[in-house]
Amino acid sequence: MIKFENVGLRYGIGPEVLGDINFTLDPGSFHFLTGPSGAGKTSLMSLIYLGRRPTRGLVTMFGQNISDLDRRKLVPIRQRIGVVFQDFRLLPHLSAFDNVALPLRILGRPEKEIDNNVNELLDWVGLGDKTNVLPPTMSGGEQQRIAIARAVIARPRLLLADEPTGNLDDEIGFRLMHLFDQLNRMGTTIVIATHNQAIIDKLGHPCLVLDSGHLHVDEPKNWIQKKIEGVF
Amino acid sequence: MFTKKDRKLGVAEGKRQYDLPLNKAEGSGFLILLISLMTFLAVIALAASFVLGAMTQRWTSGLENRLTVEIPAENEEGVILPNEDVKTLTADIAAALSKHPAVKNTEILGEEEIQELVSPWLGDDMVLKDIPLPGLISVQLHITNPDTLKVLENKVKDITPTARLDTHQTWLNDLLRFTGAMQFAAAMITLIIGVTTVTAVAGAIRSRMAEHRAEVELLHLMGAKDDYITEQFQRHALLLTLKGSTLGVLAGALVMTFISLISGDTAAALVPDFKLNALHMITLFLLPVIACAISAFTARHTVLHVLADMP
Repeated sequence: MIKFENVGLRYGIGPEVLGDINFTLDPGSFHFLTGPSGAGKTSLMSLIYLGRRPTRGLVTMFGQNISDLDRRKLVPIRQRIGVVFQDFRLLPHLSAFDNVALPLRILGRPEKEIDNNVNELLDWVGLGDKTNVLPPTMSGGEQQRIAIARAVIARPRLLLADEPTGNLDDEIGFRLMHLFDQLNRMGTTIVIATHNQAIIDKLGHPCLVLDSGHLHVDEPKNWIQKKIEGVF
Repeated sequence: MFTKKDRKLGVAEGKRQYDLPLNKAEGSGFLILLISLMTFLAVIALAASFVLGAMTQRWTSGLENRLTVEIPAENEEGVILPNEDVKTLTADIAAALSKHPAVKNTEILGEEEIQELVSPWLGDDMVLKDIPLPGLISVQLHITNPDTLKVLENKVKDITPTARLDTHQTWLNDLLRFTGAMQFAAAMITLIIGVTTVTAVAGAIRSRMAEHRAEVELLHLMGAKDDYITEQFQRHALLLTLKGSTLGVLAGALVMTFISLISGDTAAALVPDFKLNALHMITLFLLPVIACAISAFTARHTVLHVLADMP
């Protein structure tokens, strides 16, 4: 589904923040993306959700080489990707309902379908009574659930989440991971960038480990062991 | 369902107009004011252009294919001729001209008409038979061209070499040049107004894009097509322009009505009434539509240009 071959990224004329990135994500897989702070996790995520173009290398997504693809042809690829941003990026002037409905409106779905799906999903994330509430008046956990609902409402084939448990206590964090696990079982490919060692350990999915702009694909236990040994 | 009475702090409005908070953007009032002023100026400039056009039309249609033959009341040696001789010469010239195929008709101006013409200089109480008067013939032609005029001039000068043909071209050309310059100035003002409006709208849209860049990027990353984002800015610019230009046209119409009232019947032969025909009025009231089209196009072009820089 996603293949990175010798991918590099630099900002402007600065040094490469990512170099020789190689990995493949199969459809329906679940990966954690981890590594020390400043290793380039957010940069790699932005390459995967097409927020940036690589400065070198080959990126293949959904069977298309996107490195040199016309920007208009990236639109249908973006529509297959759901993203939970670290800072949520909710639109503060829109209600919880309208924030979640946004991907469906972008896809041009009928309002009746949007109404049904959004209300159902808001109930599912436990915010069915807050459809008309504006995000700035919600708690961090509630905002996070809105961001997740928005990311999954259009049934993406690839779901990316950047530090989704960052603002949550452990219990809510685990519940959230359970939710991602459920989505994965329904066929969604998932990549989660996280520092949370306990969650990586508990779920046991393979890790993409970034270290100083270079990527290693590893089993979670190995990553933990190497972390203990001070390799990272 | 959400209703207005449910509204409280932190609760969204029931009707979603935009994904981007454009309807709450600061500076919208300023853009409306600017567009209304620009439209007002465009109305005045266009109205002036229409009035000048009507004036030109009146002059050219009134004097087209016309000439006046003047038979002076003195011969080549400067000897004053008796009025009877001048009348005879005038009649001979009129008869000779009438025979030419290019001449539609000739009209010898009578003493009363000549008195009317000279009275502003000599006074109404002047006894005409006391002074030598020239003979005047108003000639209507089928067509005016230099060859015909030359032939007619030769015919006239064969009868009396002192006679002169006045085609009115000299002073008419001066006036037409003047009104042409005025119309050009009005057109330039309208063009500058158009360019200013385009610049103002483009600047406002760029400012909105910069203000809401994070939101625009988010929509872009979520797979929104350029058209989806562009339409929101286009609708925003269109609504502001519609408000501003409607105000401007209404203000312009009020001022035009006022000018029309105070100018009243002072319009003399040279200056036409300050009144617009139905076509002119329709054109002026189409200004908001034209302004909206320019504004929407500018907004679209500006947003697409900014979006093209996104990956």
